[in-house]
Amino acid sequence: MSTVGNSTNIFWHECPVGKSERQKLLNQKGCVVWITGLSGSGKSTLACSLNRELYSKGKLSYVLDGDNLRHGLNKDLGFKVEDRTENIRRVGEVAKLFADSGLICIASLISPYRKDRDACRALLPESFIEVFMNMPLEVCEARDAKGLYKLARAGKITGFTGIDDPYEPPLKCEIELSYKDGVCPTPVAMAGKVVSYLEEKGFLEEDKERN
Amino acid sequence: MPAICEVGSWGFGVTSEGLKGLKGKLGLGIGAGNVVRFEARGKRNVGQVLALERGGMRQHVNGKGDGSQGENLHQISTVGNSTNIKWHCCSVGKLDREGLLNQKGCVIWITGLSGSGKSTLACALSRELHSRGKLTYVLDGDNVRHGLNSDLTFKPEDRAENIRRIGEVAKLFSDAGIICIASLISPYRKDRAACRALLPEGDFIEVFLDVPIHVCEQRDPKGLYKLARAGKIRGFTGIDDAYEPPVSCEIVLKEEGREATPPRELAEQVISYLYEKGYLHAQ
Repeated sequence: MSTVGNSTNIFWHECPVGKSERQKLLNQKGCVVWITGLSGSGKSTLACSLNRELYSKGKLSYVLDGDNLRHGLNKDLGFKVEDRTENIRRVGEVAKLFADSGLICIASLISPYRKDRDACRALLPESFIEVFMNMPLEVCEARDAKGLYKLARAGKITGFTGIDDPYEPPLKCEIELSYKDGVCPTPVAMAGKVVSYLEEKGFLEEDKERN
Repeated sequence: MPAICEVGSWGFGVTSEGLKGLKGKLGLGIGAGNVVRFEARGKRNVGQVLALERGGMRQHVNGKGDGSQGENLHQISTVGNSTNIKWHCCSVGKLDREGLLNQKGCVIWITGLSGSGKSTLACALSRELHSRGKLTYVLDGDNVRHGLNSDLTFKPEDRAENIRRIGEVAKLFSDAGIICIASLISPYRKDRAACRALLPEGDFIEVFLDVPIHVCEQRDPKGLYKLARAGKIRGFTGIDDAYEPPVSCEIVLKEEGREATPPRELAEQVISYLYEKGYLHAQ
């Protein structure tokens, strides 16, 4: 029996079906692909593309999109600093559950603060793949896919990442996607890069050594 | 192979079966047998619209984006009897995942007093389903309080939030195509009903472990009833906090005698229900 955080008198219940059995069923290894970057940098587009590429290879993945989750699990949270932190904490914990279930969980959210992303990484020491959409602010603003930069510039939204709230780029991440020779790679090309990484690191097959 | 894509919160497959009752639902004038021109996965197709199923995550139809996948949701127009449906099919949907897994995502919500056997049933169920090649995941109330819900206590408002969050996560798992087994006391009817409301009809399967409190107390697997009787825990369900049994739920597993029914037998009852309702194979 233990006390964890604010919950007292709780037990850790063992369950006979574990992660490795689920991974064997799925022939893949559960992990989290964490896509971070400015609004309009192409995170959701990459997430969709990656989802599709993995599906075409018979791999099960699931997208946790920041916007999506703010309609459900995280609908009680705003955009204040502490709410952003809690948003990311919860997404990290849910992503961890998905990875434990054997899925390749694709989390797509701005997640602007390094400390918060690092906290999520700490939940999944060997299966956290951080993908940085390194797109210049001007490019993101020019796209302005949701009209938010316009609102932010007009002062109608405050604390908007990139305008009046910081984005802290990763110092060291697994994959960085940026312009190549002045051209933005296509979503399919970027997804391909992530898939190659996953393949190389053995996430697209079960861990045969353990079985 | 049928092209399946999602429009708003609905996915539809194009096959040889007819479709009824669609007209008015999407406001598109789509009816059974309507010829539809659409793009799916970059290819143009013509076919008859048929079975419509809720994809789950998106809340809007008629092309209004809720930012769910960061892509513009679909502009839909109707011209005469032919409905030109344009969208770019974004990500893989629930139907696709279910096809890959050969099962249908759902939530099995196991509720009951402490010591009624919820976690034991959850484990047995997951084991039995795994042996049938099905992918499940157990969200145990205690386990989740070690991670996602580690910031919550047992005060009434925190119990409600605990259940709300688990409901939302279970919904995500169900959308992912997984048979999600949630095992938690969840004592208040209102909170369980709120979770039920998150899911499409039929996908929330409430299982009530109807075990009398004296039996649970006799078992007292975690020694909590003893502590509660000694006044060392307050607000303990069944002792000094209410348990509101379901008024109407999908499965009731009643235990009265001293001898507990083996978990595997209880699990089989749930599995029969899943099988009958078609959750153990894809659409």
